[in-house]
Amino acid sequence: MRFFFVFYRTAIKAIAEYRVDFAVGVVTAVAMQLAALAFYWIVFTRAPGLGGWSSSEVLLLFGLTALVLGVSELFFNGIWWLPYYVQDGQLDRLLVYPVNSLTFVLMSRPELHALGNLTAGAITFGLGWSALAVPSWTLVLVPWWVACGAVVYTGVLVLVGSLMLRVVGPWASHLFTAHQVLNTSRYPLSVYPGWLRTLVLYVLPFGAAIFVPADFLRGHGSLLGALLWPPVAALGTGLAAKLAWDVALRGYQSTGS
Amino acid sequence: MNALARATPWQLVHGFAVLAQKTVQTKLTYRLSTLVSLLASVASYGVFLLIWMAIYRENPRQGPLSREQMLAYLIAAFLVNSLLVTSVELRFGQRLRMGLITGDLLRPLGFLGFQMAQAVGDVIVNAVYVVPLFAAGYGFVGQAILPAGALSVALTALSLSFAFLIAFGVSYLIVQAAFVLQSGYGVMFLRASLHQVFSGLSAPLIMFPRPLRVMAEALPFHHEIETPARIWLGLVPLHEVPRLLAYQAAWGTGLVLAGELIFGAVMRRHQVQGG
Repeated sequence: MRFFFVFYRTAIKAIAEYRVDFAVGVVTAVAMQLAALAFYWIVFTRAPGLGGWSSSEVLLLFGLTALVLGVSELFFNGIWWLPYYVQDGQLDRLLVYPVNSLTFVLMSRPELHALGNLTAGAITFGLGWSALAVPSWTLVLVPWWVACGAVVYTGVLVLVGSLMLRVVGPWASHLFTAHQVLNTSRYPLSVYPGWLRTLVLYVLPFGAAIFVPADFLRGHGSLLGALLWPPVAALGTGLAAKLAWDVALRGYQSTGS
Repeated sequence: MNALARATPWQLVHGFAVLAQKTVQTKLTYRLSTLVSLLASVASYGVFLLIWMAIYRENPRQGPLSREQMLAYLIAAFLVNSLLVTSVELRFGQRLRMGLITGDLLRPLGFLGFQMAQAVGDVIVNAVYVVPLFAAGYGFVGQAILPAGALSVALTALSLSFAFLIAFGVSYLIVQAAFVLQSGYGVMFLRASLHQVFSGLSAPLIMFPRPLRVMAEALPFHHEIETPARIWLGLVPLHEVPRLLAYQAAWGTGLVLAGELIFGAVMRRHQVQGG
């Protein structure tokens, strides 16, 4: 544990050296959230509600999604570098350390632009929350939901990333596919067809950690569901990711660079 | 530079074509990865499509465009985007990080020509993948996705070539930023965000709230996607087409020239990684 703490702190220090990159990264993260909000603006100038959700309620989904993304980028972003690690032969070096290889890879490249996503997410969530009559005590649950969501999101990326050890490509296109599925959680699941709802609730369960809590906050879902469903989804995805990673590593062949 | 001065026009054209061909071969080697990238964009775009379908289901009257027109536009916009997306920034970032950029700066074609040839190669490969997407789009919305006529096809081809110039010009500007930053990812994603909002990819500008539309019209991004898609579908009155094409040509040329000017300035202070 101490090793990972020192390792992570060193990785943060290394990235913080590049201050212009940091500033550009934060601006970019905010711009990406604004881009998503621009579409939200277009949608709600054309429709008073969407799938039974008001514009304020949809903001809860936007906020939670951005917070989940931000936490994952801050702590477990290394998976995005996996294709380069494989191509450059750097994965071989990471694998010989006497520590858990998956945690090591995940923590190897934190992204400080996560702070932009976290800020944008907190503001968006706050706007949605304040527009609705949500009890104050529910705020205590938000970190729990965000942590579970971050584990789900990272777990899905690891599942897809494990494929990358077999299907090597020049860049992280596989991961973008999984990332794009996360974007579905910005809008109510009720607007999607049944197969997609099943996918994001049970298979790649972003919805379990984002939609279910937001549905509870707007006074529709149950507290029990909002408390239990996110950790179950996180545990399931986390275990599946670990299993996929171990299986993929057993068949991994170095590029020999 | 001397090599460039010595090369005949034929040699330059030949070099350009060979580089484009090599890019096609490289991309086809990684075809599974390219296919997965395409799936990623289908997944991403599917969200827009599903949301618009829900909006029209709940509120059938959406002003300027009927449901059929809207869906046809969204599919046409997606096809244009899939055709024009290139790997210029990703490829450059990778080579810069690995210290391979030195060789690229010494190419007889020049840095601009080298990047553009590879971008053309990207588009050729994209064209192969766009055909089944077009067929799927036809299956989804039927004849509404077909061009308005033979003239629309010809004008769209011209518009697409200018749209390519704009897309490449923006990418070339981003490449310049990557020279001075530790990672080019930031500006790359910034471009992606601007593109997503202002290109008309998620909706035609006519559906935008007014302040957003004014901003979009002042930027070049909508000429990458919206202009060719609307010309293809016959949503632009014929007398307006020359004006739009002129805007596209001006934006494309301006962006590439701006990129080349910045490239000169960047090169004066650039230090190549020791490797």
